Amino acid sequence: MSKQSAVAPMNLRMTVYSALFTTLIIIGGVNIPIGPVPIVLADFFVMLAGLFLGPKWGLASVLLWLFLGVLGLPVFAGFKAGLAVLMGPTAGFLPGYVLMVLAVGLLAGIGKPSWARNTLALIVGNILLYPPGILWLKMLLHLNWPTVLAAYLLPFLPGTVIKIVVAVALGQTLLPRFKQAVSEASWQPANDNDEDEQ
Amino acid sequence: MAEMTFFHYFPRDSLIHRMDARLKLLCMILLSVAATLAGTVTEFAFLTFVLGGAICLARLPVVALLKDMRLFALLILLLVAANAFFVPGRPLPYLSIPGVSQEGLVMGLRFAWRLLLILMVCMVMTGATSLLTFKNVVEWYLRPVPLVPAARVATMMNLTFVLFPVIFDTYAEMRAAQKARCIETRKNIIKRVMFTVAPLLSQTLRKADEIAYAMEARCYTEERTRAVFRTKAQDWVLTAVCLVICLAVALR
Amino acid sequence: MPILETRNLTHIFPNGAAAIQDINFSVAAGEFVVLAGANGSGKTVLIRHLNGLLKPTKGHVFIEGAPIGKDIVQARKKIGLIFQDANSQIVGQTVAEDVAFGPENLNLSPAEVKRIVQEALENVGLSRYADQDPHLLSGGQQRKLAIAGILAMQPKIILFDEPFTGLDYPGVLQVLGEIMRLHKTGHTIILVTHELEKVLAHADRLVIIHEGRLVEDGLPAEVFPRAEQYGVRIPLGKIEGVESMTWLK
Repeated sequence: MSKQSAVAPMNLRMTVYSALFTTLIIIGGVNIPIGPVPIVLADFFVMLAGLFLGPKWGLASVLLWLFLGVLGLPVFAGFKAGLAVLMGPTAGFLPGYVLMVLAVGLLAGIGKPSWARNTLALIVGNILLYPPGILWLKMLLHLNWPTVLAAYLLPFLPGTVIKIVVAVALGQTLLPRFKQAVSEASWQPANDNDEDEQ
Repeated sequence: MAEMTFFHYFPRDSLIHRMDARLKLLCMILLSVAATLAGTVTEFAFLTFVLGGAICLARLPVVALLKDMRLFALLILLLVAANAFFVPGRPLPYLSIPGVSQEGLVMGLRFAWRLLLILMVCMVMTGATSLLTFKNVVEWYLRPVPLVPAARVATMMNLTFVLFPVIFDTYAEMRAAQKARCIETRKNIIKRVMFTVAPLLSQTLRKADEIAYAMEARCYTEERTRAVFRTKAQDWVLTAVCLVICLAVALR
Repeated sequence: MPILETRNLTHIFPNGAAAIQDINFSVAAGEFVVLAGANGSGKTVLIRHLNGLLKPTKGHVFIEGAPIGKDIVQARKKIGLIFQDANSQIVGQTVAEDVAFGPENLNLSPAEVKRIVQEALENVGLSRYADQDPHLLSGGQQRKLAIAGILAMQPKIILFDEPFTGLDYPGVLQVLGEIMRLHKTGHTIILVTHELEKVLAHADRLVIIHEGRLVEDGLPAEVFPRAEQYGVRIPLGKIEGVESMTWLK
């Protein structure tokens, strides 16, 4: 095309979805009490980003989130300055999110969609989330293994199980509709096939 | 719309607000590096003084900022305590608390102070720079970086900032609607989370669809008009000052 | 030559359902056309074809005689679409920046963008809100902002998709007044609505879509008595002819 080229609609759509998941991850970090215990949903939306957007665009969501934090914007759970969190005791969990979204996106994309496959992807993702974070905490705070695990792994496990169950359920109800909407949009690319009109 | 202030920009007319945002970001990076490298009490105190001065110069609301830091203070306290108790070393010189070592306490305090300095850097940057400018600066810096689609990153940043209040409101609305239908009486926590998250997600995905169409209708491209920046003499002076500070700490 | 024309426009969803079928209609420059139909009749699908957001399964759309696929950017500049949900159209963090989105996409110079934005905002009377957050505007103002965003592209045709949805009375008056002004300044207007009583008096033509087909196309006074059989509400009470069907005094 000689004149200005439009962005392929599919790319634009995924760009918007990706930004949207970044927003959801940030909002998920704002403590919102559902019931008596405050639940942070950031990790939950990271799981969903992998499940819904796949590895590439899911990764884009998470990287944008971390990047905004590097710039010093207050995007991480509960804290008012991103950069400080990146250097603080919970910083180790942030690379874990990258691993998680990649693992979930890749594993959930293999083969035929099923709830069992999604569950497996989410479990593997969560297993990858914790090691870097816990190692970092252990080093920084000079704690021994039992203390670290008791303080930073066990309390999160029940919540993680609930989040996985909900994510799998959403994968069953919303994901097929979402995939269809996306494929419909790509099925009728508005300006990709300009050539065939000429 | 209470969360409009989430990103903590305070519009003012100050030297720091008016500064060329590209240099402002560079200054903040330099000061962060200085804070990371700082080791002696003099250096820490000096940097605190400089950043405190910057906060005053930008006329940021100090009381509001301190309030925001409460949770952070808790974290720092925990950090100091953990270091004091778990790092082995000599007991404290004047009053000895069982289990607390001198080395550990010093180590914890130093780390905490460093975090505080970084926090102050972030406050100056986010407090005195609008998100729009932020986006433009990031795009400017990313443009020469290979393999990074700078325009797309900028668009995504912009959309994140634009969508934040919209989705947050949707979320609040959704929660109120569920509450009105007595979701609180549900024992099953999975159902409870499900009923909040599922409508939120489907609503926001629909919204994203609409936005994508609207952007397309307005001829969205990634070769867009670029933002213009103006650099004034005082911006260079401030940058030079920051560079000197950073070098002084680094080359000590 | 009509400014806008569709030929055998057909759109079939992947599941086999036809959204629109064999739509043939044309609009002359400067016309004011009201497009009516019940929910799900295919109105929105139809207008999303007019600027190439959707690609027809069969058929073509022509703007000033040229098929829109030839140069989609040019086509989209000529035909501006105001979406139903003005809120979802906001892509800027400030009012001015939102209006600038279109011209910036055309890669105009910064000075030019600034001038166009100022003009467009002045045009719809939102100049003093230039630096405000668009989400804080009222419903009517948001609709005006969407119009300004389209005006910044200097279109010839302006498409309105249900412009009155969710607006209070003053909001409807604001938007309706704006539409009339745009028509007077030479824009071709296509307005999709099922609320005929708010606007029909100003229209040159009334087109009715029913179950994906174009079923009526003619002078408002002739067509509107038959509108109800297609699920388009005719106002109750005394109707004093089409002239009374407006909310403008």
